[in-house]
Amino acid sequence: MSHWTKLRATALAGTLAVSLGGAFGGPAAAEDVTINMAAPDWPPTRIMQDLANKEYKAKSGNNVKVVLDFIPWPDYYTRLAASLTSGEKKYNMAVSDSQWLGAFVEGGYYRKINDIIEKDPELQAIFKDLHPNLVAAYSTYPHKSENFYGFPQMPDVLVTYYRKDLFCNEEEQKAFQEKMGYKLPCTPEEMNEVDWKMWEDFGKFFRRAKGDKLAGETLNDDFYGIAYQAGKGYDFSSMQINGFIWQYGGNIWDETQAPKGQALGVVNSDIAVKAFEHYLSLLQYSPPVAKTGTMDIFKTDELFREGKLAAHIEWIGFAETTISKENSKVADKTGFAKMPGLKGADGKLSRWSNIGGQPFVLTTWTEGAALNEAVEFVKWWLSTPVQTKFAQAGGQSGLKSVFDSADYASYRPWNHAFGPSLDWQKDVWHIPEFFELLVQQQEEFDKAITGQQNAKQALDNIAAFQDKTLREAGHIQD
Amino acid sequence: MTPRAATEQTFLERFFARNRGPLLVSPAILVLVLMNIFPLLWSFGLSFYNYRANRMKEPVFIWFDNYAKVLSDPVVWSRFQTTAVFVAISVLLQLLVGFLLALMFEKRFPGRRVLLMLVLTPMMLSFVAVGAFFRYYYEPTFGLLSQAVKAITGEPFIVLQTPVGAIGAIIFADVWMWSPFVMLLVLAGLVSVPKHLYEAAEIDRASWWRRFRTITFPYIRGLLLLAVLFRTIETFKLFDAVFLITEGGPGTSTETIGVYVYRVAFQYFRTGESAALGYILLFAVVVLTNLYLFFVQRRAKEV
Repeated sequence: MSHWTKLRATALAGTLAVSLGGAFGGPAAAEDVTINMAAPDWPPTRIMQDLANKEYKAKSGNNVKVVLDFIPWPDYYTRLAASLTSGEKKYNMAVSDSQWLGAFVEGGYYRKINDIIEKDPELQAIFKDLHPNLVAAYSTYPHKSENFYGFPQMPDVLVTYYRKDLFCNEEEQKAFQEKMGYKLPCTPEEMNEVDWKMWEDFGKFFRRAKGDKLAGETLNDDFYGIAYQAGKGYDFSSMQINGFIWQYGGNIWDETQAPKGQALGVVNSDIAVKAFEHYLSLLQYSPPVAKTGTMDIFKTDELFREGKLAAHIEWIGFAETTISKENSKVADKTGFAKMPGLKGADGKLSRWSNIGGQPFVLTTWTEGAALNEAVEFVKWWLSTPVQTKFAQAGGQSGLKSVFDSADYASYRPWNHAFGPSLDWQKDVWHIPEFFELLVQQQEEFDKAITGQQNAKQALDNIAAFQDKTLREAGHIQD
Repeated sequence: MTPRAATEQTFLERFFARNRGPLLVSPAILVLVLMNIFPLLWSFGLSFYNYRANRMKEPVFIWFDNYAKVLSDPVVWSRFQTTAVFVAISVLLQLLVGFLLALMFEKRFPGRRVLLMLVLTPMMLSFVAVGAFFRYYYEPTFGLLSQAVKAITGEPFIVLQTPVGAIGAIIFADVWMWSPFVMLLVLAGLVSVPKHLYEAAEIDRASWWRRFRTITFPYIRGLLLLAVLFRTIETFKLFDAVFLITEGGPGTSTETIGVYVYRVAFQYFRTGESAALGYILLFAVVVLTNLYLFFVQRRAKEV
């Protein structure tokens, strides 16, 4: 080979090497990453999917697809539990009720996220911006410890939904004043100050039979004043009854006091019995389905949207459907306010309620690019601009920077009640025995709701069962 | 083709020819083993362990402790009692209604074919659809039943308020759905009775009851027993209707053993215990099946 030919060959090889290097040795190629997430099927998760589809672009340059597997609420726990425990490892993330943390952390399915937070200042800032009650409820196991497992997906609280067209109607206002001796609340500010006595008065006042007049119109069916959840399924009475018990100054078994905290004498204390009796007494003003033990959150929502109720207490998650003209007969007639409180001797309202909403969690088998992208997705979701858009689309944000902003109340008619309500939210147990305690409690509550036993018998049975179960599990030791 | 290849082909051909039958059923057997037999054996093994599917703890072999615990649990016996009530009343009513329907459809009348299709529809519907339908049917505010009663009495009818009402409501739904199945079996028996027997009985001026007892019943007895067996086993496992209509309430008054097994397995996650309970349930069903076979064989010997 001549000298010139050698040089040409070397140059050609060099060019080839540079070309190949450009193709294979340069910046990493974009990876296709799919994040599969289990999610209950309802507006807050649908809005999240919508926002993710429209706006989420991974900073890494990877092609990240967030795929939500929407599961109906009534089947959600069973389907998620079956997937996790079967070992199919289908989901990288899951929207989880906070009460399931204990069971699925102990099972090794939910990933601890302390290390992720510790090395990420952005996440630390997000956690500082979150309302502390949300962090305690959605992230910690054991409850209120420093072990974090969940990121808040959407916080939720119980609020009052009421018919503005009825509560603000002049004739009804006049009639209520004459009958009850005080003004019928109409504005959200007035409704925010409602106590359970007034709630009872709404129940008595708005109960009308077919043929009666309501706001000047003749009714073609029976109409009812008030409703709140009283269903046997899942937690569809406990979530309301707990609020009553806390407002009265009673307590449920407090896992943060374990192993010294007791169930006997606490769960069935005289105060708790009084609170439960109060809860039961108000069911007489609800539609007859209350007597069957099937008046769950879906039923009261349906009754209200069908125009059968003057007011009910419901999670905010249902509000978007209530104001949708396609799904609701009372879409443009509904107002929102804080859930009633218990008026003390000093005239102040005692306000406690059971928190709703869910965190999302990472599964322990999610690693590498999927883990990094899942965390990036969480950070995107919990960023102030995205949370603002979520709130504008009908969701709720747990970020103080969002729900404390001046515009927040203007996004949706219930938003004014949300931020202040967060201060008085508590959560139910996070321990792995959660479902055993819940099912037995719901059964006993249901017997009282359907008139098979009184409040004291129900709470005595619950306390005895909890004492036995919690001692066996080592949560009560004395 | 080499002589060796020819020999191999011949061998394969011979193999397929000799084992055609087993080879044809082998996919079905494989599916059966993978989907039924293996899980059955696996869960039988689990029933001897202290194991919870939602915990990281290693399963501990505890011999028959799960069986002892389940059999000494008053809650389990209470759920068996509730199930027995459902089985006794529901199967009896299904037999009665199914039998009467079969007698009706044995005869030719105008619109019979259309009516038969309508009557058969419930058993072709999904359990969830039937459960959801009856939940609304019994709903006291909007429900059809309550509205109908209210038109007469002026008061809503709250059938699911009491344990007796709730049990009755579930039994009604079950009977509505499954009586057509009994009817089909009985109808098959009725049409198989040779007509000349009835003609001979008529000549002998035999009464309706005597004709039924000596001609009709012997022909349908086997099929009736089959209906009893199928419906008893199915009603024993009753889950869907209960879970969808009452969720086991009021309180626990309609909670059958099937619903309780679900709770223990998938809500409490006491996996080993639920496997033991499942096997006790299976044992009960096997006993019922053998009782049926005993009666059938006795009948065959009599004939």
